[in-house]
Amino acid sequence: MSKDGDMVIKGAEKPEKRRFFNEDLEEDGDGANDTTGDGVLQNDLSNQNSFLFGGASDTPGVEESMNEIEEIKDVIPNLTDSQANDLLQKAGTSSDKRERIASAVEIYFENHGPQSKPTEPKQSRPSPQPGSAFKLTKISAPLSPTPAKRIRDYGARLFKKHKPTVRWRRFIGSMQVSALATRPTVKPLKYGSELKILRTSSDALGKLYYANGRKKASMANYVRLVDENLNREVGRVPEDVAMILFPLVDSDELDFEATMIYCNNRRLSVGDSFIVQLDCFLTSVMFENYSTLTRNTPVLNKRTFSQNVVESEEELRLKSRRLALISLFDQVQLRTISENDSLDSSFDEPAEVVDLDNESDSGGETAKNVDIRSIQPSQIQDDVLNVNQLKSLYKSTLSMESSKFLPETSPSVESFQLELRRYQKQGLTWMLRREREFDLVSDTASSEEVDGDMMNPLWKKFRWPKDLSWASQKQTRIELHSQHSVDCFYANLHTGEFSQAKPVIKSMLKGGILADEMGLGKTISTLAMILTVPHDRGYHERKPSEQQEKLDADISILGSQRVEHSKPYAFKTTLVVVPMSLLSQWQQEFEKSVSNPELHCEIYYGGNTSSLRTLLTKNKSPPIVLLTTYGTVQHEWSRLMNKNTGYMESDTTGLFSVEFFRIVIDEGHTIRNRNTRTSKSLMDLESSRRWILTGTPIINRLDDLFSLIKFMRLEPWSQVGYWKTFVSDPFEKKNYKSAFDVVSSILEPVILRRTKVMRGVDGKRLVELPPKEVIIEKVSFNKSEDTLYQYFLNRAENSVKEGLDRGDLLKKYSTILVHILRLRQVCCHSDLLGSLDENDEDLTENKMLTEPVKIDEKLANATSSSDISQEELDAIISLVQTKFPDEEQFKKLECSICTSEPIEPIMQVVFTECGHTFCELCILEYIRFQSERKQEVKCPNCRQAIDSKKLLTLENDSNKIKIVHYNGGSKSSKITSLVKSLKRLQDVSSGEQVVVFSQFSSFLDIMQRELSASFSSSVAQIYKFDGRLSMKERSRVLHDFATKDLSKLKILLLSLKAGGVGLNLTCASRAYMMDPWWSPSLEDQAIDRIHRIGQVNDVKVVRFIMEHSIEEKMLRIQERKRTLGEAVDADEDERRKRRIEEIQMLFE
Amino acid sequence: MASLPKRIIKETERLVSDPVPGITAQPHEDNLRYFQVTIEGPQQSPYESGVFQLELFLPDDYPMEAPKVRFLTKIYHPNIDRLGRICLDVLKTNWSPALQIRTVLLSVQALLASPNPNDPLANDVAEDWIRNEDAAIAKAREWTQLYAK
Repeated sequence: MSKDGDMVIKGAEKPEKRRFFNEDLEEDGDGANDTTGDGVLQNDLSNQNSFLFGGASDTPGVEESMNEIEEIKDVIPNLTDSQANDLLQKAGTSSDKRERIASAVEIYFENHGPQSKPTEPKQSRPSPQPGSAFKLTKISAPLSPTPAKRIRDYGARLFKKHKPTVRWRRFIGSMQVSALATRPTVKPLKYGSELKILRTSSDALGKLYYANGRKKASMANYVRLVDENLNREVGRVPEDVAMILFPLVDSDELDFEATMIYCNNRRLSVGDSFIVQLDCFLTSVMFENYSTLTRNTPVLNKRTFSQNVVESEEELRLKSRRLALISLFDQVQLRTISENDSLDSSFDEPAEVVDLDNESDSGGETAKNVDIRSIQPSQIQDDVLNVNQLKSLYKSTLSMESSKFLPETSPSVESFQLELRRYQKQGLTWMLRREREFDLVSDTASSEEVDGDMMNPLWKKFRWPKDLSWASQKQTRIELHSQHSVDCFYANLHTGEFSQAKPVIKSMLKGGILADEMGLGKTISTLAMILTVPHDRGYHERKPSEQQEKLDADISILGSQRVEHSKPYAFKTTLVVVPMSLLSQWQQEFEKSVSNPELHCEIYYGGNTSSLRTLLTKNKSPPIVLLTTYGTVQHEWSRLMNKNTGYMESDTTGLFSVEFFRIVIDEGHTIRNRNTRTSKSLMDLESSRRWILTGTPIINRLDDLFSLIKFMRLEPWSQVGYWKTFVSDPFEKKNYKSAFDVVSSILEPVILRRTKVMRGVDGKRLVELPPKEVIIEKVSFNKSEDTLYQYFLNRAENSVKEGLDRGDLLKKYSTILVHILRLRQVCCHSDLLGSLDENDEDLTENKMLTEPVKIDEKLANATSSSDISQEELDAIISLVQTKFPDEEQFKKLECSICTSEPIEPIMQVVFTECGHTFCELCILEYIRFQSERKQEVKCPNCRQAIDSKKLLTLENDSNKIKIVHYNGGSKSSKITSLVKSLKRLQDVSSGEQVVVFSQFSSFLDIMQRELSASFSSSVAQIYKFDGRLSMKERSRVLHDFATKDLSKLKILLLSLKAGGVGLNLTCASRAYMMDPWWSPSLEDQAIDRIHRIGQVNDVKVVRFIMEHSIEEKMLRIQERKRTLGEAVDADEDERRKRRIEEIQMLFE
Repeated sequence: MASLPKRIIKETERLVSDPVPGITAQPHEDNLRYFQVTIEGPQQSPYESGVFQLELFLPDDYPMEAPKVRFLTKIYHPNIDRLGRICLDVLKTNWSPALQIRTVLLSVQALLASPNPNDPLANDVAEDWIRNEDAAIAKAREWTQLYAK
């Protein structure tokens, strides 16, 4: 096996044919070793050799042996004939002369080498270069290379050109690689021979990637296995291994050793496969790099991702390195151990490297019985989570048990006069800690506790595996380990950083996300924090450095986008951005909670102050809270945005002219879409502390969180590239666990979420709310509604069927949405047709919406057959008229069904053709009841048969009350049901306050009209709250509604969109949901307007659902959404699929 | 229990404040739709001097649907069967929501005064009544003495 030695011989004799001889000799040498096998150290290998290359050769002839002796003596000077003969005897039986000589020379060196330099430590050898340089050395001094040869003989490895920086290396795992021969070999590759991994092109990245960062060429083209001894390429590795090797092999951070372990004992032809064991080591350089990387440039270092992600050469390099590391760790099956696991328990030994030593002689078979794992880099996470698991993962992230044990902080009575609940006090502690105001936290825990010694969860802990490398197994060799005592190391495979010390999160961010569930008092908690720390106490002394620091940070964050950055610091003011509907509520809460009259709050909606900058920075006592709306911020921002350059112009008076002390955005999910103007404008506001309040941090997708993180400027996640790489991309690749691990690690330190059902330290629920009952009341269509509904249903069904048949359902998505909208509108009230659903903005473009709907025509068709002539009607009217000669009588009419007297308002009066009077609702109910039972409809009073089409009612026509034909079809069944329910409620207890939700503003208008007609103003007061109200009107409406009046039923008609969030309507304990919405959570939110802290009564909610209509199916979709977990909607494909399924559900 | 329609409350109040002579109706404490009723046997009828116990229940659909009325006291009457069920048009097909508890009970009282064996519910009683009216009336008196005291 002493190839180098042989090479010398052959090289000297026939230099031109060196290559072939070398190969010949190599092969023969193996055979020779095999049969003689008496070298002390050769025993190790003899087994394999027989397995691989077994078979004896002929004994050489005597005459040949003389020549051989001469030849050996040529090679080894000072050798006697007998010594040479001995060697030849030992080298034995090979048929090939050269082989025997090679063996003999080898044996010589085997036996003599160690004697000459027995104590030479291998490690101390200067790294010898295999290859030509080495050969030259040996020619000049044939005896000196002995130790090196010995090492190679036993499969041990030479040290590569370790730089002095590499102090040690440690084994992390091996993999079996099925390599592909690229050059034919004359002999089988020798078992245990070392192969060198060579990267053929150092600047290949440019060739590997397109400008857009996509890979265009295979890395396998650039990674070759080279026979160490022959310096000749023998093969290439598969792409997945090349992916690992290519970026890493030339770095000092890792060390690879490749050993030929199986080639079926055949010479290789191009395309043959052979098995190589690849041992992988981490070196000390890897760990040193981390510390320099992170210590010197803590956040950004070199991989700054610009907004539009074009990856530079450097980024590509880092990316490929990162991917290679992940893949490598996956392949060598290094497993993470969780921080809490004891080192001894629950640790799976990595799978033993398949060792061909132990394979039986059945090795004649090809690679089939060799465990070549099919290696897929994408298998980083085997168990793909389903959406429900994701949901629970998400939940577990947010509701941290640890929050239960936060100490409580009470705000100072001098500034805050309300009493906080226990969990709110804990929340205050958390918020103050987040702001680094440790001295104000009652339990002065050290700052470390805030950050915890929580490991940065991007980092994973690994245990050093047992050294199973070829080198260590074949020869107990002293490794370069300097730190055997250390069992574990840490790696951040996302960034490719490694550490031996535990990496701990340090964030300089002041602020966070208070994500307590609705109704837990986020507003109050926030006010407590604001009033506890109303202004930047450290401002004066730290100003210069801080400002500079900030400047630097901002420049690095936003790059060229901002040049000007020295805005005046409004260090005494907290800006609170809220949805319009909550403006007055915030103001009221502030007034209620503030106890120091010097602290005041102002509302800013643009233009009401000549200069905000002057007010906030030049004023002696600026408002400590400045309330404004998202709209105001967005408006000012749009004004400042230069359309041509895309940059913001500097502002001297408005919100953007100062840097605030603190910004709080309420209902922070408003900015979840970072492409909206509102969202962009919020990002550009400056402040030193940034808070987000939201009960629903994720509404639709994971990326909702990104906007929040961007707003908080939580580095490095606020860089879109980071987010994309670590969250969006893994998520889209269905690598949910990885994405969610990252998300929870990002969120955990900055988010506090408690839910109503959580229990505090005392074991009680955080909030004990009175029970809530939600009843679904099914309503059936009346005849005309049914006709109309069927008409629209047919149209919609045809459209959907067409779409499904042609497979372009989603192309027609908006058309179908319009169809669905129509159906939903018919369910509510036919007058809604043609109006828009305020929640479906995306439909505004659709032509169909503007298409006139000829309801009357449809209805006329349906009812014409049984219509009554005008003459007939006139006759009845005059007949009835004669019974009531005096107009005053109309005000004293009695209904024999409900025994009301008088019937009021008089619009409610309905006359039968026999002249008897009833309430509209009573007689309609009677007619419905009788018809349902197929019983004759008779006047309840005189038992004369009556015709429901011949009913009459009163109409107030310019102060004259007239009897007119009653058109029963105009009243929708839903409104009828609502009125009935309200009447019943009114009967039981007057002075109730009820909230009626609908998503259609125009439906609110209709209800307002019809309810006014059904309830006289003396018994009921109707309020309407929707997006069209001005700020002032909103607060007036809410105030009036909340004022208790025991004599009147108060009805608040509330638009689901305008009033679904934030409002506190605990004065009411009853709600009616007039129409279902797609998202159950939105409805839940609406219900939570009344079912929240402060509610003392049992809450009863009635949801009106039209029977046998699309609304019932919407309920099913809601149900489905609840179980599937709409919070974490899957990727785009999944959503499309679900949409189609939903549409099918609607029309099945 | 579902809330009570205003009409029922009104009727109940009136039954108590302005009772019909010879008839009492008391709502049950636990269920305001359930009434305990007594009707005195009309004079000049076989049921004279008897006090009959009845129960009256207002179903959910009342007043669209008629109240359910049943004799609890044993009575010998061609239109009332052994279970106390009453055959009376206003309780069935001729019900109208304009009728009330009060009017229903008056109708029952009237039925005691004028049995109608041609529209029988208790066939055996009706047969007796037609075959031998005097004997039947005597038996009705006897039963009244026996059970309605």
